[in-house]
Amino acid sequence: MGVIVKKVELSWLDRTYVWPVMKGMAITFDHFIRNLFTPTAKRYTIQYPDMKKEMPEGYRGLHELKRFEDGAIKCVACFMCQEACPARCISIEAEEFSDLNITQGFEEKRPAIFKIDMLRCIYCGMCEEACPKDAIWLRKDYEVAAYDRLSMQYGKWDLMNTYAAADGKERISQDPTPTVPRRTIVM
Amino acid sequence: MDKLASLLHLTPALLWMALKVIIVFAGVMSLAAIFTWVERRGSAMIQDRIGPNRAALFGKIRIIGLAQILADGIKMFFKEDLAPTDANRNLFWLAPFLAFVPALMGFAIIPFGRSFVSGGQTYHLSVLDPGNGMGMLYPLAIGGMAVYGVLVAAWSSNNKWSILGGMRASAAMVSYEIGMSLAVVSIFMTTGGYDPAEIITAQGHLPWTWNIVRQPLGFIVFFTCMFAETNRLPFDFAEGESEIVAGFNTEFGSMKYSLLALAEYSHMMTASALIATLYFGGWQVPFVKDPTVLMSVACFLMKLVFFAWVFVWIRWTVPRFRYDQLMKLGWKRMLPLSMVNLVVHAWFMSQSH
Repeated sequence: MGVIVKKVELSWLDRTYVWPVMKGMAITFDHFIRNLFTPTAKRYTIQYPDMKKEMPEGYRGLHELKRFEDGAIKCVACFMCQEACPARCISIEAEEFSDLNITQGFEEKRPAIFKIDMLRCIYCGMCEEACPKDAIWLRKDYEVAAYDRLSMQYGKWDLMNTYAAADGKERISQDPTPTVPRRTIVM
Repeated sequence: MDKLASLLHLTPALLWMALKVIIVFAGVMSLAAIFTWVERRGSAMIQDRIGPNRAALFGKIRIIGLAQILADGIKMFFKEDLAPTDANRNLFWLAPFLAFVPALMGFAIIPFGRSFVSGGQTYHLSVLDPGNGMGMLYPLAIGGMAVYGVLVAAWSSNNKWSILGGMRASAAMVSYEIGMSLAVVSIFMTTGGYDPAEIITAQGHLPWTWNIVRQPLGFIVFFTCMFAETNRLPFDFAEGESEIVAGFNTEFGSMKYSLLALAEYSHMMTASALIATLYFGGWQVPFVKDPTVLMSVACFLMKLVFFAWVFVWIRWTVPRFRYDQLMKLGWKRMLPLSMVNLVVHAWFMSQSH
């Protein structure tokens, strides 16, 4: 089976070479003029540190741990995300924080430590899917970089503050309700 | 002028000569330097990119990236100046100058403005005064010298790729020179002289009496050959990243490389000055019969810059030729075309009287 190569028959005008070159020059000149009269900020190039790309809906970037209005973490330390994570980058340690169990007979949980290893994370969004409380979600920040491995370990407070500046919220580094000292639970 | 000359213990003629040399060579060199930037920026615009716009004076004054020239210069100065082990040291040192000097020297003959009379003395705005007996033969001869720059650079650096590039480039330059010269000869014929000043005055101030209208075929041939002469893009056989690394300047670094690059751009300036002089009326201002000196200089500069821009423009429009295509175009198209041009004009001239 031979392959039939179609040869393009050039017209005499195209074979002079001068005319096609002039057509090509018209095209490039059109581009030149169009770019010349477009401000730099409006051209195709996104000049990165100055301008940033607006990420599309559904983009999975850096995580945020959501908080209530009083600054309390929404996470209830149910370990669902840790279980769902295919990269096993989430590690949680729970603690109880209210003294309701004295009066009501139950206590509330929250993560004492909530760590995501951003070097391991594959930004798949499974933690967001798994979360029953909508406490973790992946947002649009893609600038996850650091000079050393240790600073890629995002702790609870890092994760709660990842979008503080973008949202105009204040940074928090303390739970509004203090931890109750763990008592011996009789089981 | 006379006062300044007596202050410097020079005759006015000598001072004028020195001034001209400084103005012309400094002008051409700075234009060439600016065009390195224009080339990068212009190509970026053509390709919908942005180009060098971040270099700034003192980190603040950005002037649309013009400081890039300075930044490049400073960088080139402080680069290590290496020569390959088995290079011919002397020639390796000489080569950038051999490339650079002819590129600048060609400009000497070109009148960049109207001659004027001041204090009973005529001042000509060209380094070599008209009527020196060389005329347009001088830039053609100097253009032939430009082959040495490329070839010596290639040969001395003891590199296969370099020598391939140098050989290719010199072959291209030599074969296109014939077509170019024949195109120029037909201008000599119709003008009746080979002095650029005569050629310019013969063209007159009306755009439809310029040589571009009288000899469009000759213009196409000359223009194409100029690309081969300057070794610029559709015909850049001295270089070729996909084939022979960087070609003749593979082994050159630091200021030597910079000089080779500047040589290319100065060559471009000289070539566009030649095109403007031969085919576009030199310093003649369109529709103005007696332009002032300043006006004529400005007009010449505009033409010069425009044609230099066309060089850039074509470079970023037309893809490269293959070597055999280049040779075919040179010998089978350009040479016959320029001969036809010559014969046709000769016939017309014989019929007209």
